[in-house]
Amino acid sequence: MLLIRGYDDIALCVPVTEPYVRRSEHGAHWFLGRALRRLLDGSGLVKGAIDGLCVSSFTLAPDTAVGLTQHFGLSPRFLEWLPMGGACGVIALRRAARAVQAGDADIVACIAGDTANETSFRDLLASFSTFARDAVYPYGAGGPNGSFALITDAYMRATGATREDFGKLCVAQRANARRNPLALLRDELTLEQYLAARAIATPLHLFDCVMPCAGADGFLVMSVARARALGLKFARVLGAIERHNAFPDDPVQLRGGWAMDRDALWAQAGIGPEDVDVVETYDDYPVISMLQFEGLGFCAEGAALDFVRRHSFTTDGSFPHNTGGGQLSMGQAGAAGGYLGLVEAMRRVIGAGARHALVSGFGMINYDRGLCASACVLEAG
Amino acid sequence: MIRLQRCRSCGAAQYPPREICGVCLSDALAWETAEFLPGRVLALTILHHSNEPRFRARLPLRIGLVRLDAGPVAVCFLDEREPGDAVSVRARDDDTGKSVLEAS
Repeated sequence: MLLIRGYDDIALCVPVTEPYVRRSEHGAHWFLGRALRRLLDGSGLVKGAIDGLCVSSFTLAPDTAVGLTQHFGLSPRFLEWLPMGGACGVIALRRAARAVQAGDADIVACIAGDTANETSFRDLLASFSTFARDAVYPYGAGGPNGSFALITDAYMRATGATREDFGKLCVAQRANARRNPLALLRDELTLEQYLAARAIATPLHLFDCVMPCAGADGFLVMSVARARALGLKFARVLGAIERHNAFPDDPVQLRGGWAMDRDALWAQAGIGPEDVDVVETYDDYPVISMLQFEGLGFCAEGAALDFVRRHSFTTDGSFPHNTGGGQLSMGQAGAAGGYLGLVEAMRRVIGAGARHALVSGFGMINYDRGLCASACVLEAG
Repeated sequence: MIRLQRCRSCGAAQYPPREICGVCLSDALAWETAEFLPGRVLALTILHHSNEPRFRARLPLRIGLVRLDAGPVAVCFLDEREPGDAVSVRARDDDTGKSVLEAS
């Protein structure tokens, strides 16, 4: 196997969240700027110390990361615009870490966020991709609900998974969210309520679907030496992977790209799935969490059903999963959904007693499946 | 009737439509016309919610994922057929003049 340089000298610091709101009159620039300000306030750094910037957003048009440099008065020597949606958090950390290791930047601010209003979500869906515009949206404009419904239906037929199985994950995440003041949805959710909810796109019902909202998340990437010099607590990166358009010949997406690279991930990390204290999966629709349990080696391929039936998934339970409530209970603030699991995992290993965390991302239903997969393993610094 | 793109260089059928072959990267893609294309339903959803006002009066809508015998997978409007069933896929114009696929 090709020897890939690790991330031993890299520190992830200062996880921040600009609190999510259901709708906003502000633009994406406001949410991203607020996240950046929180990174400065949380680190004690001055703006000029930020010499690298990674940005992800769906609602920033016509701007990109380029326009933000002028908007925010930054002059970075390293700039990334990462349109990988739900996979963008781990990918931002990979890009930023390599830039720091190579000396192309000293301190990289990674931010993702979006606004939400009456028309922003529909506008995004109608022109999400060429293939989606031509070959998905004209079929009822169900958006991601429709696409994930087809994947969920195929998964249920292939594995025997039931709505109760998906509901178990959703209900556990809501229990986790009830302790998280940042979660938008904190009312109790029972399995009976989950099962009785209205159909959205069968087999998906209301509580399988994330709520679009506005918000932003961010973190800083720098060397361990720099973090220590600044007196910042940090998380280490034991391993990180990404893969795009994996298994293109599979007629339906019953596995994601993690399966191609999980051995490399665990080998790089030097630990195994059994050593992880906290798992943060990308959960826009519970079926995708099941694909991550399988793809990342927490259970065998096709065995997620037994796995789900054996564990409780609550923060104090047998397999702590999406400990802040995940997108299903926190809301999906556009591209920030690709950061949410990562900043939650950072909080768990930096200040909440977890030793190891796994984070995975999944993004971009370009046509019939999500094309981007990413994952990383974090360790308390 | 239905039209399907096929690569003149490697023979691979293409869907959704594109300008470059997804297998061999040739730009020599030609349209083939058929009465219908045979396929099989892989998955079904019944849409009860649409993001587009023009669909809302027609809900619920049956949408299927169909594996064409020619190779590609297509999202189609679906009649009462179920996953596992063989279907014939045809194109029609929707009320905006856009060509859409129907499986029956």
